[in-house]
Amino acid sequence: MSVLEIRNLHATVGDTEILKGVNLTLRSGEVHAMMGPNGSGKSTLSYIIAGHPHYTVTEGDILLDGESILDMEADERARAGIFLAFQYPVAVPGVSVANFLRTAVSNVRGYTDGNGNGSMSGGVIGSNLMPMREFRRELNSKMQEFNVDSSFARRYLNDGFSGGEKKRTEVLQMAMLEPKFAILDESDSGLDIDALQVVSDGINKLATENRGFLLITHYQRILNYVKPDFVSIFFGGRIVKTGGPEVAQMLEERGYKWVEEELVGGLVPA
Amino acid sequence: MSVLVKEPELMDPAPVMAVAADFSEEGVRALSASRNEPGWMLDFRLAAWRRFEAMAWPKSTDESWRRTRLTGFDLKNFTAYATPGATSRRHELSPLLQSELGEMESAASLIFQDGGVHYRNDNPNLAAQGVIFTDLQSAVQKHPELVRQYFMTQAVKPDHNKFTALHAALWDTGAFVYVPKNVTVELPLQAILHQNPGLGGYHHTLLVAEEGSNVTVVDDLLGGVDGMQSGVIELVMKDNTVVRYMNLQDFDHSAWNFLTGRAVMGRDTDLRWIQVSWGSRTTKAFLDLELNGPGGHGELLGLYFPTGRQHIDHQTLQIHNAPNCFSDLLFNGALKDRAHNVYMGIIKVLPDAQKTDSFQRNGNLILDGTARADSIPGLEIEADDVRCTHAATAAQVEDEYVFYLMARGLTRPQAERMIVQGFFQEVLDRVPVESVQHKLERVIERKIGG
Repeated sequence: MSVLEIRNLHATVGDTEILKGVNLTLRSGEVHAMMGPNGSGKSTLSYIIAGHPHYTVTEGDILLDGESILDMEADERARAGIFLAFQYPVAVPGVSVANFLRTAVSNVRGYTDGNGNGSMSGGVIGSNLMPMREFRRELNSKMQEFNVDSSFARRYLNDGFSGGEKKRTEVLQMAMLEPKFAILDESDSGLDIDALQVVSDGINKLATENRGFLLITHYQRILNYVKPDFVSIFFGGRIVKTGGPEVAQMLEERGYKWVEEELVGGLVPA
Repeated sequence: MSVLVKEPELMDPAPVMAVAADFSEEGVRALSASRNEPGWMLDFRLAAWRRFEAMAWPKSTDESWRRTRLTGFDLKNFTAYATPGATSRRHELSPLLQSELGEMESAASLIFQDGGVHYRNDNPNLAAQGVIFTDLQSAVQKHPELVRQYFMTQAVKPDHNKFTALHAALWDTGAFVYVPKNVTVELPLQAILHQNPGLGGYHHTLLVAEEGSNVTVVDDLLGGVDGMQSGVIELVMKDNTVVRYMNLQDFDHSAWNFLTGRAVMGRDTDLRWIQVSWGSRTTKAFLDLELNGPGGHGELLGLYFPTGRQHIDHQTLQIHNAPNCFSDLLFNGALKDRAHNVYMGIIKVLPDAQKTDSFQRNGNLILDGTARADSIPGLEIEADDVRCTHAATAAQVEDEYVFYLMARGLTRPQAERMIVQGFFQEVLDRVPVESVQHKLERVIERKIGG
């Protein structure tokens, strides 16, 4: 079993403090939903966990099984078992889903050496990759399982994908990379009901006992499909309340205005 | 080289050449004499030489030369033209040339060096179909009527610019390709130039595709250390022809490279021209598509990746002379170090060319802040029912892209490399010969790494 622990995390971008003391513990097998209004800093939190270089952590720590990951680059964190599903995955023209994923999977599973030396000479079109046949077989079966059309393997990564196709491809990547902890940044936003169903099914399939999920969302909607163990409310750069699924229900009924009035006025976070 | 097989028409040129290989009318006469050329070709060369002498060198105030300077360029630094050796057998070729030949399956091939043919691999099946694939020097002797009709008469004329005049006076190597009516050549025809150090070279590609024919030609340009190459490409496409043409320039980074090329396209023609400019210290290339018959479809696709202090300049013209034609131009390149790229292009639609559909795009990926890309697209439209678009972009490898790939476990170098390779892919996907595609991928890999 693994533990991802966020301790009193403060972070800035430029001179602006965005995270103001975040505390959260996520264990394997848990689904933790984090809800909050736009601009509250929840996407920032997901970026910082994944290792985005634009943010500065000024205080606190992020520990994976007791070891700080703050000094690790994004790729090292990915290899350590952290996965971030992006709210807005960028399109990378000319790079096919299969080619990219084969390199990613090979790195994360240790086919290439971790410091990038071997991969400089051979990481992309090189020899230190997961064998093509084996990779293809696994990709095909996972594409089937996660409702991604097999033509996507040859398509360029997120290039010309609809919002739903992008999110589905994110889930496929997660399935291939088999992380210990997955942070899903608004994976439900901009999806119609059918796409939401597919993405939720994917998450449910992947929510096994040896994987933890941090499900960041603005809306309660996805929680009709994915049942969280815990729900936190994120507001003003920190968590202001944590409880069970009933918290989401409360939020749905009373709205974020209630949070502002009832919870933020000096209340200590749960 | 050990055992050499001599071409009869190239024998015994040396005594004349040795005394007169310089840039002069005498030099032109000596060159022509050494190749036993007929009088009409000598006259052609002399007229071109006089034209060359009468034309001014490009000035930095000329629009075409504002961004590409000839500082440091002087004909005196080059041997005016080379003295051909004899041809070699395949096993006698240098490893470089062997590998160039080996990496592509071709219908026939020619290697040029030192102003003449270095190696030839003829294909009797082609000859049986009436296809001519030979060096231009031989074509002058064996097919004078065709050469007189097409050589610098329709596509690129000697007075096109100072360098084409020089070329017309001193032309030496290059292939003559003639495909008779309704003949399809399945495999590519391959012509390789390997230019030895210090020379002036004048490579010519003359392709004549008769009605309904279909052919693929690959030009490979190598070597050129401390040299100068002033080349010409002429693609003459009769009605209903399909031509795939690839010009792969990978000269040494000390070479001056000037190139003028034009395709003249008849009715319902289909051309895809891949222009690759990897090498040279300075390249100035004028590349034109001229759509003269209705229903023509022309694609001109360029790749470049200057590094160090390389300077690459492509100037293109898409001339729509006839209605219902389509032309698509895409030049994509990455730049490193202190490299400089210039792209200038014009889509010109004449009054009769209604229903023209034309695109022009130039994309630059700038990998170092010290590199520079100038992009000057343009339209000149004289018809009223047309669709023409142009676009120029300059981008960097965005941090957001790198972060996305790194968050999936790619190292930073892997992520950056993948993004740069991806940038070239749109053009690579349209390279019609798979082995050429792979070869270009390898060069891109090398350029990213080095």
